[in-house]
Amino acid sequence: MKLTKNIFAVFAASLFTVLLITPITSISNLLWLSSVDMPVTLWSSFEVILFDFQRLGMPLFVVFTIAFILAFSVAGLISKYTNYGGKYLYALAGAVAIGFALILMVELLFQTQLLGGNRSLTGKILHWVAGFCGGYFFYNLFSVDRTYTFIVRFFGIFYAYLLLGFVLNWIFTPAIAAAEFGFILDQLSDDAQNALLRDFTSFFVATFLFSILGAITLNPTWFFSAGVIYYGAAIFNLTAIYVHGTPYNKIYIGEIILGTLPTLLALTVLYKNRTQKKHE
Amino acid sequence: MSLRIFLSLFFLSNVFASYKYETVLEDLDDAWSFVFLDEETILYTELPGNLKIANLIDKTITDISNPPVVHYASQGGLSEVILDPKFELNRKIYLSYSAKDKNNKSTLFLSSAELIDNSLKNIKVIFEANAPRRTSVHLGAKIAFMKDGTLLLNSGDGFDHREKAQYLDNHFGKIIRINSDGSIPTDNPFINVEGALPEIYSYGHRNMQGLVITSSGDVYEHEHGPKGGDEMNLIEPSLNYGWPAITYGIDYSGAVISPFTEKEGMEQPLLHWTPSIAPSDMVYYEQDSYPELTNTFLVTALVSKDVKKVRFDNNTNYQESLFSELNQRLRNIEVSPGGIIYLLTDGPGGKLIKVLPKER
Repeated sequence: MKLTKNIFAVFAASLFTVLLITPITSISNLLWLSSVDMPVTLWSSFEVILFDFQRLGMPLFVVFTIAFILAFSVAGLISKYTNYGGKYLYALAGAVAIGFALILMVELLFQTQLLGGNRSLTGKILHWVAGFCGGYFFYNLFSVDRTYTFIVRFFGIFYAYLLLGFVLNWIFTPAIAAAEFGFILDQLSDDAQNALLRDFTSFFVATFLFSILGAITLNPTWFFSAGVIYYGAAIFNLTAIYVHGTPYNKIYIGEIILGTLPTLLALTVLYKNRTQKKHE
Repeated sequence: MSLRIFLSLFFLSNVFASYKYETVLEDLDDAWSFVFLDEETILYTELPGNLKIANLIDKTITDISNPPVVHYASQGGLSEVILDPKFELNRKIYLSYSAKDKNNKSTLFLSSAELIDNSLKNIKVIFEANAPRRTSVHLGAKIAFMKDGTLLLNSGDGFDHREKAQYLDNHFGKIIRINSDGSIPTDNPFINVEGALPEIYSYGHRNMQGLVITSSGDVYEHEHGPKGGDEMNLIEPSLNYGWPAITYGIDYSGAVISPFTEKEGMEQPLLHWTPSIAPSDMVYYEQDSYPELTNTFLVTALVSKDVKKVRFDNNTNYQESLFSELNQRLRNIEVSPGGIIYLLTDGPGGKLIKVLPKER
């Protein structure tokens, strides 16, 4: 159980660090755009920061998770076999992990600085500070006893994070979002464009909100609601293929996955609630 | 009636007949560009720094001695080769390449030399880009002669230096115009602008790998976008083509480079490819060996592994994918003096492929 808790603490610390780091690139880009008289507004800034959190954040989450696993393992060993330990050791480990990860991404993989916000010294320092905060956050998570609710909440938030890309695309760049589903928006009638945008946007926004509400309230109904919608999409996808004769579309696999995760979270909450009631 | 049907079928059979190909050269070592010395002989570059002559009939390959010393790394090395318009008289060629500057940084160079007895003589650096970079990427490096005898050179944005494409005090993300001896044409657009480098012809470019000047003198360029947003532009002097302030692509990392796709004072592309096709070279086909291709742009692509036939009509572009059955990353395309199309494949073990005109 302790190992499981530590793993999810690493995942949560990675996601937290991604939340801190992606705006560094977004804001450095926005500042430069403003400096060349581009019409940057609060709305466009909000759009950029959210998109970066999702699109840029996904690969960074993987990189940071690997870096944190290594760094926090070393910090754990130091803490066990020396007198050094505590929250600042893990915070330092987080800073070192992010620093090394960003250097190695350049030196071993790309030979160029893919992360726009990491090109200046100020940007680099901010990334290290974010890693420091990530390490500190990790220590706070794993040093306090947690129940299963931590894991359920983490997965609920992470599920919402996965859906955030769809939500943003349908709100901000509907033509691109529509193209990903095979629609050429300009070629649809006005009514069809309207129907497509409102239905798809509400579909993804609703499931996004259900997962956030599920994570906050731990009420399984929210998770079930998201699951029902995606399972429904998968069932009617297959109905379209095998009953109505549309071409095969393997997107139903993704729909089953997106339906299964919240359903499992809902079942976990239900099971735990029943177990607790029995003990009472 | 039957004659009409016959003619229709004959016409359709020609339209839909597939091209045939002949592999002329194989095992080329990262060949990057080539130029025809005559119908049977090409001069070609290999990125590691080799300049060679190949006879396309007997397949013999001859090394040219004394090529410039290049910095061969990542995307850098010996890049473009072109002939002087008076090559028959002066034997002059022009080479673009990446090499180290005096501060040991990599940048783009353009040299002229005379090709005499399979050796380069009188090598002269006629341009060194003020675009130093740690890693040899996004060099551009395409060269073309304008109708007035001046040279255009693509100087890419260096990837890590993309914002500098918007400033005129450097050569990142610029198209450069110089005379063939390296001097600066007096009618260059920024020659009298304080703080601007006088060689700059246009700016706001990314990694330009296609540069064509049509027989009417129009300058067309294409450039790699990041993830999406590959562009084809009609180049006019002094204009700003927007990178990275406006773009149709996003960063390789997934980050937004700019939420803007247009702004007053910044040029819109003639077309953009999103998702990216990674355009690598371009010709404007003006001969008639392939009548279906006459007066169209032929754009080689690395990612889509084909040649895009592009035609513009009243601000609308019409595209068709050609030669995709080769399934090769295509690095370069040239037309022989006799009008025959040749394709160069990318990377080590590259091939030179002759496209045979459809039988009629």
